[in-house]
Amino acid sequence: MVAPVRRYGPAAVLLLSGAAILRISLFSELYLRYVQPGLRPYLIASGVLLVLLGAVSGGRTARGDAHDATDTHDHHTSHGPRVAWLLTVPALALLLFPPPALGSYSADREAAQYAAQGVGTFPELPAGDPVDLTLGEFTSRAIYDSERSLKGRTVRMTGFVTREENEGEDSTWYLTRLLVSCCAADAAPYKIEVRGADAPPEDAWVTVTGTWHPEGGLGSEEAWPPVLDAASVKRVAEPRNPYEKR
Amino acid sequence: MENQRTEARSVADGVRLAVRGVVYAVVGGLALLAIATVASVLGPMLALDLATPAMAAWWTVFTAVVVQGVPFLLLGTLVSAAIGAFVPARVFSRLLPRSPALAVPVAGAAGVVLPGCECASVPVAGSLMRRGVAPAAALAFLLSAPAINPVVLVATSIAFPGQPSMVLARLLASLAAAVVTGWLWVRFGKDEWLRLPKTRTPSGGSGDAGTPRSRWDGFRAGLQHDFLHAGGFLVVGAAAAATFGIVVPRSVLDVFTDSPWLSVLLLAVLAVVLCVCSEADAFVAASLTGFSPTARLAFMVVGPMVDLKLIALQTGTFGRSFAVRFSAATWVVAVTSSVLAGWWLL
Repeated sequence: MVAPVRRYGPAAVLLLSGAAILRISLFSELYLRYVQPGLRPYLIASGVLLVLLGAVSGGRTARGDAHDATDTHDHHTSHGPRVAWLLTVPALALLLFPPPALGSYSADREAAQYAAQGVGTFPELPAGDPVDLTLGEFTSRAIYDSERSLKGRTVRMTGFVTREENEGEDSTWYLTRLLVSCCAADAAPYKIEVRGADAPPEDAWVTVTGTWHPEGGLGSEEAWPPVLDAASVKRVAEPRNPYEKR
Repeated sequence: MENQRTEARSVADGVRLAVRGVVYAVVGGLALLAIATVASVLGPMLALDLATPAMAAWWTVFTAVVVQGVPFLLLGTLVSAAIGAFVPARVFSRLLPRSPALAVPVAGAAGVVLPGCECASVPVAGSLMRRGVAPAAALAFLLSAPAINPVVLVATSIAFPGQPSMVLARLLASLAAAVVTGWLWVRFGKDEWLRLPKTRTPSGGSGDAGTPRSRWDGFRAGLQHDFLHAGGFLVVGAAAAATFGIVVPRSVLDVFTDSPWLSVLLLAVLAVVLCVCSEADAFVAASLTGFSPTARLAFMVVGPMVDLKLIALQTGTFGRSFAVRFSAATWVVAVTSSVLAGWWLL
């Protein structure tokens, strides 16, 4: 009972880890909840390699090649380091119930991003009415664009809802999207205050169409967070990639 | 006579096997029963906990750090296993100058082109010493190899996009810390602190000429061992990092982040406790937003050189009296060096 577990342990851990990586990168797009899109090929390669390694290791153990595991340190069993069992925790989590993308909880904990720093000119906005923008681009242009390219344009953005209860009767709500430069551990939010529409429930994904509501001087504290006068708020499904990339 | 004895032995073996089987079945059954009971009681409670936003965020950050770290970990262990299996250690001892004081910077710089995770570098350093490399030089290599190899530097540049100065600062601060610690050993080190490893470790980069097949076996075994070992510690680090991010309120962090000195020391201690593998630590450092760049640099310079798992590995390989002195000295040198590099470059 125990001996086979010990003997096949390394192979099992390798297979589990490989399967978990492949499940989120090759067989679905769940990896986008955790890391940035550019990592996908490396994840797939790692998953394949881990599965191969596990299969070879298991095959050798089955053939009775018991002593091929290296035994370098005191705290290791002869069948691989014991600490390796910890790898099964994230592997099983990814296989059985992949953790959700970060939402309003994390957005409230981190300071919002200013995106571009410093007033300057921006490239011309793409054509289109409404024009689709990322929250990062809207924030940068709203606060730092000296040519005020957002003026008079109808924009459309997708994000989730965070709310802020105020002293008075009116609570403000924000269109929010987390910015991830490497993995979910470094997530930081963009927030845009939405006016002229009732607040959807917290964490709901919405697409908001509206116009920029200028406030405060360029680059000033009052200009932040940027404000959007909403024309329409539509509930949507969580996008493929829940984060914005830097 | 001979036959009888063999027969008796095989009967005894059979009985022993049967007893062992029964014991396994009983122990395993009890364990399963216990697990089932605990799970059925705790399950609903755990599910509730999982449903809270904080726990969900913990799991997401935890798996994210692991998922992000695995490809880099694998790349690093691939290269280090290849070197352990295919490059003879005597190549290094031929390349090094005879004088220890000169060999230290050469060995330290050699760490730049010899990728390896810190878990792999300990046995390599032991085998270098056995091959007659001056201990100081081997130790400089031990410190620099996991800290400043290309894999780690590439990982750092990905974790800190648009901040090449962070990569440069990490390279210089780590190299300086490794060389200075090596020189300290030349000047103050005593051989009796060092319990030189006697037996040859199979994955220790001994790299003897062997049949191609046995070399491939060594490569595969080294890869498997290094990945499993470092992967386990990556999970520990990810859990600690996620916990740190969720449990510690922002206001407490602000106390530290407001004071540049405290924040450097805090992250230098955190690097020791978290034990994040050097191939993944840049991502953890990047996630510690709110700390000064110098403090994050200290995290990345100290981490590959001094941490709990390294102290354990060094105790196993070189003895406790060595590990304690060496780690303490290295920690001080690494913090000083990263403060200087941060002040200069960041």
